[in-house]
Amino acid sequence: MERITEHPILGETKKGREISFLFDGKPLKGYEGEPIAVALRAAGVMTHRYTQKRHEPRGVFCAIGRCTDCVMIVDGVPNTRTCITPLVEGMKVQTQDGVVAKEEKGERSK
Amino acid sequence: MKRYDLIIVGAGPAGLSAAIEAAKKGLHVVVFDENLRPGGQLFKQIHKFFGSKEHQAKVRGFNIGKKLLAEATQLGVEVQLNATVTGMYLDKEVIVKKGDEIFHFKGDAIIVATGASENSVPFKGWTLPGVIGAGAAQTMMNLHGIKPGKKILMLGSGNVGLVVSFQLLQAGCDVVAIVDAAPHIGGYGVHAAKVARCGVPFYLSHTIQSVSGDEKVEKVVIGAVDSSFTLIPETEKTFTVDTICVAVGLSPMSQLFKMAGCKMDDNPKKGGQVPVCNEWGETSIKGIFAAGDVAGIEEASSAMIEGKMAGVCASEYLGYCSSAEQAKDLENMAKDLDSLRQGMFAIKNRGKKIETTMEGIPISTNLLKKGFLSDADIKRFSPTKKIAGVHPVIECTQNIPCNPCQDACVRHCIKIGKDITALPVVDTTKTCMGCGLCVAACSGQAIFLVNEDFSSDYALITLPYEFLPLPQKGEKGKATTRSGEILCDAEVISVKTSKAYDHTALLTMKVPLAMSEKARFFKKVKSYA
Repeated sequence: MERITEHPILGETKKGREISFLFDGKPLKGYEGEPIAVALRAAGVMTHRYTQKRHEPRGVFCAIGRCTDCVMIVDGVPNTRTCITPLVEGMKVQTQDGVVAKEEKGERSK
Repeated sequence: MKRYDLIIVGAGPAGLSAAIEAAKKGLHVVVFDENLRPGGQLFKQIHKFFGSKEHQAKVRGFNIGKKLLAEATQLGVEVQLNATVTGMYLDKEVIVKKGDEIFHFKGDAIIVATGASENSVPFKGWTLPGVIGAGAAQTMMNLHGIKPGKKILMLGSGNVGLVVSFQLLQAGCDVVAIVDAAPHIGGYGVHAAKVARCGVPFYLSHTIQSVSGDEKVEKVVIGAVDSSFTLIPETEKTFTVDTICVAVGLSPMSQLFKMAGCKMDDNPKKGGQVPVCNEWGETSIKGIFAAGDVAGIEEASSAMIEGKMAGVCASEYLGYCSSAEQAKDLENMAKDLDSLRQGMFAIKNRGKKIETTMEGIPISTNLLKKGFLSDADIKRFSPTKKIAGVHPVIECTQNIPCNPCQDACVRHCIKIGKDITALPVVDTTKTCMGCGLCVAACSGQAIFLVNEDFSSDYALITLPYEFLPLPQKGEKGKATTRSGEILCDAEVISVKTSKAYDHTALLTMKVPLAMSEKARFFKKVKSYA
C-alpha cells in the first residue's frame, strides 16, 4: 500500500531513517521505529501468518496490539504482535505457520 | 512494593484528565499505559471536536491530546508507558507487566480509564487479510502515514464509520460505499453529509454477504436485509475492493473492575459490561473509580470531564481537598457534562423515534437514509427569504451539542442561544462581512457562504475544503450537489488558508446563479488541460 507523503491536516509525514530488514529471508526497506506491520503493508505484504489447523491466512485487524491477528516470528520469537513492535535495522521477520516459521516448516517436516 | 496516592490505568483522554485534576490537588499520581505513546486514541482524531468552548470544540483531537500531555507533564504526573496492568485486586493493588517483567504496585485510590475495544461482526471471509477495524485504518493513516488500502468499503454508519470514511478520503483512498444493516445512519447527519457530497454512496438496510479473494480481500458482495436483518435474495451488489473497514461499535474494557470485585452491570446502552458507578464514577468499592468509555461508551469530550470528576473525587477520598471544594468542582463539571449529554444522539434518547427537532421542524429522513439533505429539507430548514450580498447558509438540521459557529461570528450573525443543542439561526438584521470564520469553525462542515449578488448570472459559494492538492485560483472544475453528483461547471475564485481556520481551507467557487442552492462541493477535473 502507498505511503501518505503529505496530508491536508497532518502535513508532511515524519519518519525515522530508512533501514532494511529481512522478510522470509528477502530484504525489504522500512523506516526505523515504525511498526513492523506498517513496513510490511508498504511493501505489499498482507499475510502475516497462517492458522495452525486450517492454514488460513491472517493479517492486521486492530493495529493496536489487541487482537493478535498480526503475530509473526520476529528475531526468532513467535507470536510477536507486529502492529506494535517497532522496526529495527536488520530485524528478521518471518511469516508464522501455526507456531513455526513458514519458510522453515518444509525442512522440519522432512 | 511501591505505593502511590493514586494509580490511574490508561493515559487516554479520561486518564490524563483525571491525573491532571489529582496532581493539581497535590496527589502523587502514576499513570500506567500499555502503549508506546500516551494519549489513547486522541492522536488519531484529526477532525474538529464538537461541543462548546468549555469542551474544546473546534479543536482537532490530536491538538487536545498535545495540550493534555503538556499539562500533565508540567504538573509532574508520572506516565509509565509499555506498562500493561494485568491485574487489580481488592486492596487496590495492581500487577503491571513491562516487557518480560512483572511489577507490583499499591495505590490508595485507583482510577481505571482503560477505554474500549472495537467490536467485530462475522461474515463469510471476515478473517481475510484486508478486513480491518475502522480504528486500525485511523491508526495506519493518521499515526503511521500509510494508506490502509486503495479501494475501501466501510461497514457501519455510526460516527466512527462516518469520521473514518472522511479521513480515508483525506488520506487519498477511495471509499466505494458505506454499508449499515440498520435502516438509518447512526452517526451525526453533518458527518454523513460531508462524505456524501464527496460522492460516497450509502447502503442502509444492507449488510456484507461475503468477502472473497486469493489470500486477501479482492471482492465484497453486499445485500439488502429485511427488518429482522435477514438477507433478501437477489439484492446482491458486488464491489471490487482491497479493504473492508469494520465500524460496528465499541465495548468497554472493564475486565479489571470485575477482577477487583466491583459490582458489574450488563448494560447495552453503555456498550456492554460496565462497573456500577455513582454519578461521579465511583464503583461499589470505595476509592476505585471508572472514567471514560470503560464506564459506558460515549466520546472523548465527555471522557475528559468524567476523568476530571474522578480525579477530584479521588482527591477528596484521600483527604487532599475538602468536601465543599469537591462539591464546587463537581457542580461545574456536571454542568459541562450535562450539556454534552443532550440532543438527538444522547444516551437517554437512544432507541427513541425522533420525528421533529426541538424547534418543532420535521427531521430530514433523506439525511438518515442517504446521508444528505433533500431540496425539500433545505426549504423546510432555511425558509427561502432572500438575503442580499454574502451571507452564511447553515445546513445543520439535527439537535447536537455544538456551538462554535455562534462564537466564531464577530458580527453576531449566527445565534444558537444558551442551549447548545439548539439549531443555529442566521440573524438577517446583522450584516455578514464574509470572513468565513464560521465556515472553518463548524466541526460538521455544514456552513457555507453564499453570495447571489456576485453578478447577474453567477453566484459565489464558499465551502470548507480539507483535501490535497488544494485547487488553485482560476482552476476550472465541477460543482457537485449534496449527494456528490456533478451539477455544473465551477471556477475557483479563491482558496484561503489561515492559522485561524486550522487546516480547513475556504474555497470560493463561481457557479451559475440558478445553482446557488444546490452546489455544495468542488470537484477537481483530473484530465483538465
